[in-house]
Amino acid sequence: MALIAVVAIPVVAALLCWIGLFRRYAWGITLAATWSVFALCVFVSARVAAGDRVVGLAGWLECDGLSALVLLLVSFVCAVACIFAGGYMHRAEHESEPRLWWFYSNYNLLVFALLAVPALAEPNLAWVCMELVTLFAVLLVGFDSTSSALEAAWKFAVLTIMGAPVALFGFFIMFWAFRSGTGGAWETWDALRSAAPSLDPNLLKLAFLLVFVGFGAKSGLAPMHTWLPDAHSQAPTPVCAVLSGVKTTVPLYIILRLLSVILASPAARVGGWLIGLGLLSVGIAAFLLLQVRDYKRMFAFSTVEHMGIILTASGLATRAADFGAVSQMLNHAITKSLCFYVAGIILLALGTREIESVRGLFRVSPFAGSALLLSCLAIAGAPPFPIFLSEFSILSAGVRSGQYATVWILAILIVVAFVAILLHANRMVFGKPTLPCPRVLLPATCRVAVFVAAAPVIILGVYIPPPLHNLLRLAAVQLGGR
Amino acid sequence: MLTSVPEALNAFSAGLILISAFAMVATRQVRGVLRFFVYQSLLLSLSSFVLGYGTHSIHLWALGVITIAAKVVAIPFVLRRLLPGDFYERREISQAVNIPSSLLLALLLTLVSEFITGPVVSAAHDSVLRVNVPVGLAGVLIGAYSLVARREAIPQLIGILAMENGAFFAGISIAPELPLIAELAVAVDVVLIVVVVGLLTRSIQQTLGTTEAAALSELKEEPVEWH
Amino acid sequence: MTETIGYNFLQVFFVLAIAPLYAGVLSRLKEIVQSKRGPSIFQPYFDLWKLFQKDEIVSEESSWIFRVTPWLVFVMPIFVTILIPVLTDYPLAFAFMGDMLAGGFFLGLAGFFAALAAVDTGNPYGPMGASRTRMVGFLAEPVFMIVFFTVSFVAQSTIPYIVQKRWIESPAAFFAPAHILLLIAFLMLILAEGGRIPVDNPSGHFELAMIDESKGLEYSGRGAALMKWGGQMKFLVLACIFLNVLVAPWGLAHGQATLNVLAAVPLILVKVLLFAIVLVAIETSLAKLRLFRITEFLGAAFITSVAAMVTSIFPGV
Repeated sequence: MALIAVVAIPVVAALLCWIGLFRRYAWGITLAATWSVFALCVFVSARVAAGDRVVGLAGWLECDGLSALVLLLVSFVCAVACIFAGGYMHRAEHESEPRLWWFYSNYNLLVFALLAVPALAEPNLAWVCMELVTLFAVLLVGFDSTSSALEAAWKFAVLTIMGAPVALFGFFIMFWAFRSGTGGAWETWDALRSAAPSLDPNLLKLAFLLVFVGFGAKSGLAPMHTWLPDAHSQAPTPVCAVLSGVKTTVPLYIILRLLSVILASPAARVGGWLIGLGLLSVGIAAFLLLQVRDYKRMFAFSTVEHMGIILTASGLATRAADFGAVSQMLNHAITKSLCFYVAGIILLALGTREIESVRGLFRVSPFAGSALLLSCLAIAGAPPFPIFLSEFSILSAGVRSGQYATVWILAILIVVAFVAILLHANRMVFGKPTLPCPRVLLPATCRVAVFVAAAPVIILGVYIPPPLHNLLRLAAVQLGGR
Repeated sequence: MLTSVPEALNAFSAGLILISAFAMVATRQVRGVLRFFVYQSLLLSLSSFVLGYGTHSIHLWALGVITIAAKVVAIPFVLRRLLPGDFYERREISQAVNIPSSLLLALLLTLVSEFITGPVVSAAHDSVLRVNVPVGLAGVLIGAYSLVARREAIPQLIGILAMENGAFFAGISIAPELPLIAELAVAVDVVLIVVVVGLLTRSIQQTLGTTEAAALSELKEEPVEWH
Repeated sequence: MTETIGYNFLQVFFVLAIAPLYAGVLSRLKEIVQSKRGPSIFQPYFDLWKLFQKDEIVSEESSWIFRVTPWLVFVMPIFVTILIPVLTDYPLAFAFMGDMLAGGFFLGLAGFFAALAAVDTGNPYGPMGASRTRMVGFLAEPVFMIVFFTVSFVAQSTIPYIVQKRWIESPAAFFAPAHILLLIAFLMLILAEGGRIPVDNPSGHFELAMIDESKGLEYSGRGAALMKWGGQMKFLVLACIFLNVLVAPWGLAHGQATLNVLAAVPLILVKVLLFAIVLVAIETSLAKLRLFRITEFLGAAFITSVAAMVTSIFPGV
């Protein structure tokens, strides 16, 4: 029941925001909806972590370790982003206030689609929901209607919607393999995985290739990443946080699901490809990070880098590397959303996106300065923060499985990215302010959002609660490494 | 080998679907591209009707009806409502690649799709599969190519929809008993794509005064100078 | 044996007699569709008759090529007629002499001499038309070749009778995507080779825009008549190959009896009439392409034919 509610609440909230009477309370409605969804997701994942199997509708809505983890991530990031939107949107959009209800309505629908993908057990419907995610995200990216926002939305739309039919083709082929291998059973991720050894490996490989190309474009993996920095830098900040934190993770979730099917089939091997493409993403992002001029784009490239790291880890296909991959998913989502809240605050305070123009942030606004320093350290992977832990566990898993070349390249690229991010952060935080800057009063909700988002980033680096650890372990098992 | 009448008709429309994919690459006028897209969708629904008749599958009938409703009726209607009429009169002079080379590339893509799907479909004993899967993949790839080569917004959108057509043409042969709800969802999805991208196109038109995607080139990477 | 020789003559006579009528029907149909009355469908016969009555003027500067060409243009379609199925679905007495490739060569020879003759006189429009025809020819010939090769992949032969039987015997091959693509490529080829819209306007009288017609401008009297008649026969022969071998291989005479063969005549007439209607539909709905767009048109034909080959080699069929 809880699972049905998780999917239903955002739809109801979206409808409420649409109705004229409630339009004025759109933010409140959205806030209530996202936080109750988050509470339900915590409840669901606690049950999953305790070993239960949560079933909403058998064969349609089911939840295991991996999907519980993604549900948790999505609901958390969306809930915090909604707090942030309260201050940010109302300030930034005060001249076009009447459209805010439209924004929130779309936002709720985006949340619905993002939650539906992991909650659905039927792969083909998950494809449909993935498509809905893209569409609502496109509308939100173009919300500002400035020419650069529209350009970003257009690139985003074309490149990611283009991936959809390719992935659809892959889903059809997977369905074919499943039907001809099992003789007409109901297709779910679980059934697919348990039937995998008896399916035609050629078909599975072709299906994986197509889905990988299609959804790789959506999650911003290397050759198809060009839309990502544009969209993530031009969208309103709360949307950026959702896009960068979880919208990229969700297609990756589907790729990983399919990967577990491939791994269960003895004849199909794709690990080398994943490692190669993952390293390509990390490499391209690391070197682009060195030369960005816009701090929102910097965080966007860092998303490409982290997607590459997750992909590489899953390509290693050992249990330990899988654990690293799922923790990286979790840590990246929470840290990256924090980064975008901080970026939003700086944008509110200084009104510029250029790294060059931001100098001596500490003196202008101690709050923003320290938040930026914290988030940059966290996203770059400095020691006390959770990303350091997961990157370290991925590297050590690679060493243990004997993939020295991969580990070396990955380690070097991570260091390059680390240096690049911290160089930029250093130049922004310290030094003398160049802009004569009016002191702006940051909205309280933005500050609250930063605190709420920063809490898990700080806590998870030193202490992982046992249920969460259990959940990560279960999710790693779902990835199917040996 | 093909034997029955439905299979023969399906193969017939496979050939014409491939032709219309080529025609969409070769056509300059926006209106012409839209027209060929409608033809292609009609052929797709013809195929799903005859295959539905042949395999007694209600899903394929439903898919045919949905295709006509969504792609033959709704999409041209929505596009015409959303965008002013002079969109369709426009010719596209500035393609990235000239048309004969585009056609050659489209041909190459057909060859590639035959190569990719060859080992997979030759194992299957179903003759419909052997026709539809390569043609469907070719449709997807050619649509993707026209998306890259086109400069105008609407032909790009139609390229996406043509990719969708290709995927479905393969889909009706390999997954005739796909759950109906998925088909309905997909159809809704397709119309949504059109509405969203159409809205986006209109606001781009209103803001920038053009729908040439080439005009959208403000955002790009410029190297930073380190001091 | 004597019978088949007789049928062979009948076939040639059929093509000789029907070709001008077909040209007349085509132009009349087109005029009707364009809401004009148009000349009688027998007008081409009157034209030929009139031209044969007139004196022939030959430029003193011209060589033997100019004199020989009308006869070649007239005779080559007749040779091709001997090789291909026009009325019967079994090979006639002289059909052993060549396959479809040979037919292509015969027509190519006539075209080659026509181009030479156009250059021969020194009339400024002649060489212009000749070079344009050659351009179309250069682009069309690879398509011809690939169409024939594709046919031979499918039917294991380039002999038209065997190809035609293959389509009849296997509906699978007939409805295969490769065949559809082949048909479209060949149709585009006929439009180009026959000098029809969108490649060339057969009823245009403006010398600068002419492609096919300008080659015959210098001829008068008997030479002009032969050129005209030859051109009409060439078009009919191409249409017969297209219809009897590729599109609708049914309805040809199967039996050896004279009655059977005669019964095939109305059927083939119906076929070419239907084809005329299709042609008129194409011609009235399209505009003539600019000269440099013709490469695109034939490029598209080429792509279609190669696509046909691709889909026929791979396991699709």
